[in-house]
Amino acid sequence: MKRHLLAALVLLATLPSALAAGEGAPKAFERGSWQKLLHAHAGHPTLVHFWGVTCGPCKVELPQLGQFMKDHPDVDVVTISADLVPNLPEATRSMLDHAGLASAENWIFGDGFAERLRFEIDPAWQGDIPRTMLIARDGTITTIEGSAEIADLNKWSEAQTATIR
Amino acid sequence: MTYRKLATLTVLATVMLAVLPNLAIAQMSHQHASEAACEETVLRCATKVTPAFAPDGTLWLAWMAGGQISVASSKDRGRSFSTPVQVTRERLNLDWGPDARPKLAIGAKGELALAFSTFRDQAFNGQVLTTRSTDGGRSFDPPKPITTNNESQRFEAIGFDPGGGVFAVWLDKRNRVPAQQRGEKYDGAGLFFATSKDGGATYSDARLVADNTCECCRLALAFDGAGHPVVVFRNIFEGGVRDHAIVTFNDLATPGEVHRVSSDDWQIAACPHHGPSLTISPAGTYHVTWYTNGKARKGLFYARSRDGGKTFSDPLQIGQPNRGPSRPQIAAGPLGLVMAWKEFDGQKTSIHLMTSHDDGATWSKPTDIADTADSSDHPLLVSDSRQTYLSWMTKADGYHFQAIEGEP
Repeated sequence: MKRHLLAALVLLATLPSALAAGEGAPKAFERGSWQKLLHAHAGHPTLVHFWGVTCGPCKVELPQLGQFMKDHPDVDVVTISADLVPNLPEATRSMLDHAGLASAENWIFGDGFAERLRFEIDPAWQGDIPRTMLIARDGTITTIEGSAEIADLNKWSEAQTATIR
Repeated sequence: MTYRKLATLTVLATVMLAVLPNLAIAQMSHQHASEAACEETVLRCATKVTPAFAPDGTLWLAWMAGGQISVASSKDRGRSFSTPVQVTRERLNLDWGPDARPKLAIGAKGELALAFSTFRDQAFNGQVLTTRSTDGGRSFDPPKPITTNNESQRFEAIGFDPGGGVFAVWLDKRNRVPAQQRGEKYDGAGLFFATSKDGGATYSDARLVADNTCECCRLALAFDGAGHPVVVFRNIFEGGVRDHAIVTFNDLATPGEVHRVSSDDWQIAACPHHGPSLTISPAGTYHVTWYTNGKARKGLFYARSRDGGKTFSDPLQIGQPNRGPSRPQIAAGPLGLVMAWKEFDGQKTSIHLMTSHDDGATWSKPTDIADTADSSDHPLLVSDSRQTYLSWMTKADGYHFQAIEGEP
């Protein structure tokens, strides 16, 4: 009886970490995360891509971004799953893996009050995805609503490289 | 109890206490990340609540909570509710998209028809399920697919036509595969419809209204004075422009011509997750509200049509543009028109409201009538024979049902 109780306790003690999706899982994007993210990438050309597992156009664009990341090691690639109800770290991770984005900096909305998260990023954003924000070395942000044209991303990336020459 | 046993229990209790805070944190963070206040099937835990009045004045709610669809009714306009009846039994992956919700329609004799979507697979392909109650909401038939086709379906809308049948429309991707097999590009989804002559137990074969509609926004459905269905939907116009369109049916089986509601020029290959609202006033005027982020205009808008949807008035902007106005709803009630929407000021979401007593020609100044500091469902409007009410589910403050004040 005692052994069973102890086993149950050990199980209980390990539960919280077992419940987390494990290593490589997208990080929870919460209040304040956006400012931290901007701070962490300050001075680096950064592509931030907002998407969601149920968004049709996102499924098409994600692998293209995976290729973009491979082709542009000088650009920090960040993805943020911004579907309104997250709690789907497994599906999110699986789609990122298939798109070749497992090694990108991946986040997932971790606050059910998505309005507040979006407001911190861009008060005018109503939640449409995909959405891409290109953050230049000097902090200038260019927002692309909807699927991005890879040619436009390449052009932006080249301009970033040019600024340090 | 021996001393040894007591000591063991004390040790166990200490370990338990050490472990519990972690569990509590895990639990809290889970709820923080959720739109739901709790995980049970009760109304308090709901993320989406849909109201409808029966002809006898009974208010019915259908809601999504704890992974199930439930209904309950109120004889006192929302002050108290009957014991909930669970409509679904299995653990379904209910469509939790921002514009999804259970749909509830009530016939002239009080019969209840329900429809909702589930994600049927790991790729988030949707399936529309329907059910009905023939015993005044005490029990429901087991939910059945609305169509035998297995391509993705979502965003159903249902209503009783004046003849007593149930009319259903939804977005359906069945035409995508054959188009792709022919080597053609197929954007979006198709707008499909079906009818039921047995109160929503079985539906006719699905038929197409229009291909290439936006695939991720709710539909708006109303019936005109002659009982013809009218549907507003986000379409994909030439060049990938996702502006709104409207169709009035010639009869229950024949869709009419598709007209454009507004040329907002929102060219976007994305899911706006933000559908329109439609109501038809006793004068026969169509009143539409919608969200756009187009080149021509950005924000929430209202327009009306006095010629059955062929042409619309110039769009009127709704809400404060710097407060992200969203989720517009419009209802023609016994006292006039009411429009409600959400705004967000960085801290709290508030519900704003305007009324019109001249069929939409002029509108009152907006007033805010409710707010909440956490996530919330869309504000919905529902009318009985006396007036219009706001129905609004919030995570922090529970379910609101309030008569709209200021209606003369």
